[in-house]
Amino acid sequence: MLARWIRINCGVLGLWACFATTTDAQKVDFRRDIEPIFKTRCLSCHGAEKQESGFRLDRRAVLLRGGDYGEPAIVPGDPSKGTLLGAIRVTDPDFRMPPKGPLLSKTQLSLMERWIKEGAVWPGQMGKEVGRERSSHWAFQPVVRPKVPGPRSTAGSEIDAFLQDRLKQAGISNSPQADPRTLIRRVSIVLTGLPPTPEKVVAFQAAHQRDPGKAYEELVDDLLKSPHFGERWAQHWLDVIRWAETNGSESNMYRKNAWVYRDYVVRAFNEDKPYDRFVFEQLAGDTVGMGDATGFLVSGSHVPVATVGQEAVARRQARADRMDEIVQTVGASVLGVTIGCARCHSHKFDPISIQDYYQLTAVFQDVEFGSRFPEYAEDHPRSVRARQLQKLIDAQRKLVRKTGPWIEDWHNLEEFHFKAVETKAVRILFTRPYVRVDELEVFGPADPQENVAHQSTGVEVKSLSKFDNARGPIDLINDGEYGTQAWNARAPKGTKERPWVQFTFQQPRQIHLIRLSTNREDFYETDYLTGLNPKAYHGYRVEVQDGRGEWKSVGGTYGIAGQNKKNPQRAKTIAELDRLIEQLVAEGPQPSFVGRFVKPVKTHVLRRGSPENRGVEVFPAGLDEFGSELGLEVNAGGVARRRAFAQWLVAKDHPLTARVMVNRIWHHVFGQGIVSTPSDFGKAGALPSHPELLDWLAAEFVAPTREAVAPWSVKHMIREMVMSRAFRQQSAPRQECLAVDANCRLWWRFPARRQEAEVIRDAILLSSGSLDQSLGGISYRIHNVKKRYAQWEVVDNHGPRTWRRLLYQERFRRVDDQIFTAFDFPDCGQIRARRPVSTTPLQALNLLNSPFVVEQTKLIAERAKQRVGGDVSRQVNECFQLLLNRDATQQELAACRKVARQESLAIVCRALINANEFVFLP
Amino acid sequence: MINPFDHLSGHGRTLLNRRSFLQNTGLAMGGISLAQLLAGDGLLADQPQTVSGKSPIRPQFDPGNPYASRKPHYEAPAKQVLMIYCPGAVSHVDTFDYKPELVRLHGKKPPTVPAVTFEGPSGNIAKPFWQFKARGETGKMVSELLPNLAEQVDDFCFFHSLHTETSAHPQGENFFNTGFTMEGFPSMGAWVTYALGTEAAELPAFVAINDPRGLARSGKNNFGSGFLPAAFQGTDFSATNPPANLKRPAQYTSQTDRQTVDLLKRLNARHLEKFPGDADLAGRIASYELAGKMQTSVPAMMDLSAETATTLKAYGVQEGSDLKKEYAKNCILARRLIEKGVRVVQLFNGSDPAGGNGITNWDSHQNIATTHPLQAEIMDQPTAALIGDLRQRGLLEDTLVVWATEFGRMPFLQANGTGRDHNPNAFTCFMTGAGVKKGFSYGESDEFGFKAAVDPTSVFDFNATLLHLLGLDHERLTFYHNGLERRLTNVHGKVVQEVLA
Repeated sequence: MLARWIRINCGVLGLWACFATTTDAQKVDFRRDIEPIFKTRCLSCHGAEKQESGFRLDRRAVLLRGGDYGEPAIVPGDPSKGTLLGAIRVTDPDFRMPPKGPLLSKTQLSLMERWIKEGAVWPGQMGKEVGRERSSHWAFQPVVRPKVPGPRSTAGSEIDAFLQDRLKQAGISNSPQADPRTLIRRVSIVLTGLPPTPEKVVAFQAAHQRDPGKAYEELVDDLLKSPHFGERWAQHWLDVIRWAETNGSESNMYRKNAWVYRDYVVRAFNEDKPYDRFVFEQLAGDTVGMGDATGFLVSGSHVPVATVGQEAVARRQARADRMDEIVQTVGASVLGVTIGCARCHSHKFDPISIQDYYQLTAVFQDVEFGSRFPEYAEDHPRSVRARQLQKLIDAQRKLVRKTGPWIEDWHNLEEFHFKAVETKAVRILFTRPYVRVDELEVFGPADPQENVAHQSTGVEVKSLSKFDNARGPIDLINDGEYGTQAWNARAPKGTKERPWVQFTFQQPRQIHLIRLSTNREDFYETDYLTGLNPKAYHGYRVEVQDGRGEWKSVGGTYGIAGQNKKNPQRAKTIAELDRLIEQLVAEGPQPSFVGRFVKPVKTHVLRRGSPENRGVEVFPAGLDEFGSELGLEVNAGGVARRRAFAQWLVAKDHPLTARVMVNRIWHHVFGQGIVSTPSDFGKAGALPSHPELLDWLAAEFVAPTREAVAPWSVKHMIREMVMSRAFRQQSAPRQECLAVDANCRLWWRFPARRQEAEVIRDAILLSSGSLDQSLGGISYRIHNVKKRYAQWEVVDNHGPRTWRRLLYQERFRRVDDQIFTAFDFPDCGQIRARRPVSTTPLQALNLLNSPFVVEQTKLIAERAKQRVGGDVSRQVNECFQLLLNRDATQQELAACRKVARQESLAIVCRALINANEFVFLP
Repeated sequence: MINPFDHLSGHGRTLLNRRSFLQNTGLAMGGISLAQLLAGDGLLADQPQTVSGKSPIRPQFDPGNPYASRKPHYEAPAKQVLMIYCPGAVSHVDTFDYKPELVRLHGKKPPTVPAVTFEGPSGNIAKPFWQFKARGETGKMVSELLPNLAEQVDDFCFFHSLHTETSAHPQGENFFNTGFTMEGFPSMGAWVTYALGTEAAELPAFVAINDPRGLARSGKNNFGSGFLPAAFQGTDFSATNPPANLKRPAQYTSQTDRQTVDLLKRLNARHLEKFPGDADLAGRIASYELAGKMQTSVPAMMDLSAETATTLKAYGVQEGSDLKKEYAKNCILARRLIEKGVRVVQLFNGSDPAGGNGITNWDSHQNIATTHPLQAEIMDQPTAALIGDLRQRGLLEDTLVVWATEFGRMPFLQANGTGRDHNPNAFTCFMTGAGVKKGFSYGESDEFGFKAAVDPTSVFDFNATLLHLLGLDHERLTFYHNGLERRLTNVHGKVVQEVLA
């Protein structure tokens, strides 16, 4: 009801002044005058029993704060503010409040107004200002390092002590330790995503015989040092934030160089970057030379402006949707709570209000989906190269500047340089009848970053409007939006007039550079499209207005060739300049889809999530439940906001950040989390099976007790877990334990599970000896080059150039790779804190019949033959070693020999890679 | 093993926690099964975590056999659904929603419309591009654009007051098919097969038949499983394109396959000895059997050679444009799948731009006078034949047929244009078959067809009604994901009682 009411409340408040009543000498008494109204007319829906829209009129604090829609109901002393008076003034039968019975009388309304004006005095509740009741939900309480139960000696590690404590209570026990072959296969896959080679198994078995404990410890340390460790753990992180290399939505276009973020994540895990630092860099890496890390912020899907449509309403909605993606990313990955619910109304289950939600959007107001040149550290190879080349470019420019204007081609972006001149206005006169320019920028020597022609400077822009296309009006030329939002002009046939554009500054400006493009987005942001937009403006002349209002040319495209001819030295300098620019474009920092930054605008609560229904202004802050203050200045810019929020997130005493991450790690090590809903620690999520263990891990993560271990070390936590006895147990079921704990929530065995798509594919390539193990870089392509508005098609999902780890396959939203997507590979549409594990006949068909499998089984068979020679039994056994890390049994040998002889050794491999033993983690 | 109840969500897990809690406090409950726990409705009812306040009804199935047929929430007329989806937005005012006012005001400025719609400035009112005529006994006015479907209006139940939340195609497709404009949510077909499994044990439970030109604009999202297990995603194939990797590779013989499968069975049997009774391992073994059966059953479905000449003619397989012939084959395939008991069949009539006759779907910003007929030629006869054939074979007794599109088109032209822009405020879809009224029209758009006016019906309402006809309570068919019990209808929707037969 209130929701519906809020939509029309603005109008009502306007009327309010008319009803203002005369003052009465006697003060309003809450008990006598107000409370009876509440009691008889309001509390049945908004009271202790029922709180429609989360609103109740028996608590002053709730009136001050407002209900689910986040608007204060009263502002003591100011009856013109707050929603209460408006609500009870409405007479429309659909929207009135109270909804039934007679409307409140004029006297009652007037009493209410006076009560508010006099400060809304409410005896007995005056101490309770807006202050809120803190939640008692377990996950929102501070982490306190618990005492480790029982005597250490029997338990093994602290982890084991906690687990065994619970097992004992349940009357069951751990399983025996797994054999060395199982151990090395399990721990290798969990840590690096790759099974061990037969050689490594042999070496480990030997070492294990000498000293099991030492051998295992050394193995774990080796695996943690492996560069494949980062690849494996990056995959988990990318799932959570649904990172992908396409936009999603209709055109689902490629996000150019988005992969630099994937490489950042791999590197971060490999370097064991402290988790607090990792989080910080992903939110504000641009401030510390880690610009690639901000790919995190734009990991969700978005609808490019070209496909949003022309309606202003749709544009505002699309921006709100993009902000929502960012908030969801941060909420699900780091905080482990579902903030998205509070977009329309305060969270139904968790203490997250609609204000909290919009305060968070205020933090990210400077983020927009798109590309930029990532900020890299000074010593980053691309930064170094860029500095070297820029110096040379500057030197050449200095030489050529003396000889007259010149043009630089920056790939889909043109710069027209001329001698600095002070002017009130500049115009560009085009020579061809058709012109399309998405952005035209003007710069002066004073500040090389300031576009003095941007619409926000108050510049006046004008063109010959009769030439302008309705879908490409002139104001798109300086709106800061690239791509399809372009000025689009065409001179009618038969006329000699040509399109032009004129900028008049608010006061005279020194200018010396014009930069223009037809579709900068195509160059900056995307690739693999047929028909990337070519330049569509050709020649032009630039004129400036002198003090008397006369137009004077500063040059144009036409004279440049002539000047070069006249002056060979100048031609040489320009040629050198062109060469250097080409080099810089190729070797300097690349425009990468890791987000771009815009000027923050005011942030408001959007009632019911609608941008058309703006509520109160809000300011950047954390979640109120955990103390939302970020210590920001009122006019803090985007960088300061993100930096402060990141620091808030990784504060040592934040109750969620550490708990959520250690649980995530546990989930990937042990198959399910201590909290089985890894991105939902709220009330709708699961309770922890071992709350004390979780807190011990969280405490140990933030403040480690082990010698020489740094705080927030992910590797340290993983090491603690895989060194536990629990991890090293056998996975076989035991009836007495199944009867008590069928789901293995107490970890009486190591829970085996079907491996992810990545592990299955990578293991096949490793076995055949074809896996290209190089780290990072551009993803391998499996798709076509497509039309802008077409779906991607898979053209090669199995050839030699795809023989890298699946992590490096183009990760395109909702595109089926025709083999491994069927194994619950995420479509990257929504947050995926854990992958479902399902079994479908399509998986079977893909693993039996796909060209990838046909080819790889042949290669595995050939490799086995090469390694052991002509004896069929030895060949079969070698295939078992390569694929399963074990010898074949006598019976298996007999059966496989028969198949090898009647069909081929490759068919034996075909059966092996389809076997449960191959696809399950042991 | 993995948690066999992974497909359970909040409640299931809470119960499991509750169970381990009970166990761990020493109250031995080892003997009690999860099913028993779940069966106690009282236990479920005290879980407060759905927005609607209604407790979820969890489909119970063996993870190894996720497609086993399951009972609906309550007895219902429809057992199967066939959705004919027309991407691109069919113009309601040129087909089924008759607006004489447009004739009267033809060429005039529309009275109250926004200056800018999806593609840009709006122009003047345009009368329907095709003549409307009274049809059948009900006298329903339908235009000449769809003469074959027009003959069956006495059996259709029209929704004339539909409105949607977006005016962009992909988001509109997402919204219609998944209940959300954003990507990554489970599709209607996934929800239905998650709830009901299938009757056709040797075929995929949910088949998506794409347009001969390719996928629609939202691609796989229209028939994806979102965060539901991948088992419930639509399997896409058509009369001419089998599912990927269904066929045995050319270099193998049937002997090869038999040898492989025998060896595989042996390997798996040995492995299973170490994990007796493990449902996931057993499920994986079973999936190979189903895959084997599909290798025969799916090509059998695609093989139309047994169809009579009369049938082929009726569907229009032999005449008209190539695209129509192809689409007609897909229509026959759809009937064959429904006949076999496949739970959900989604048939697409339109794609993302990909060639063919120069148009790709129903989108008609320019030259609607030529583009709509091109698309209608493909859709009309085969679709009408399909519905007629289902009726004649008695299959409409328990099959619900839904004809749908993502939004309507404007009653006026685009400025200086020859086409109609997107209209999210009013559009028409229809249902026919099991459980819905015949010869009935529900709701009205305003006199221009610009906005839903009488009994406005949201897409949520439409989908709630669709699920209801299958015996599913849209508020109780939920799946816990990332903090919420998710539904096809988000937190909205009410069943349109008026259309129920």
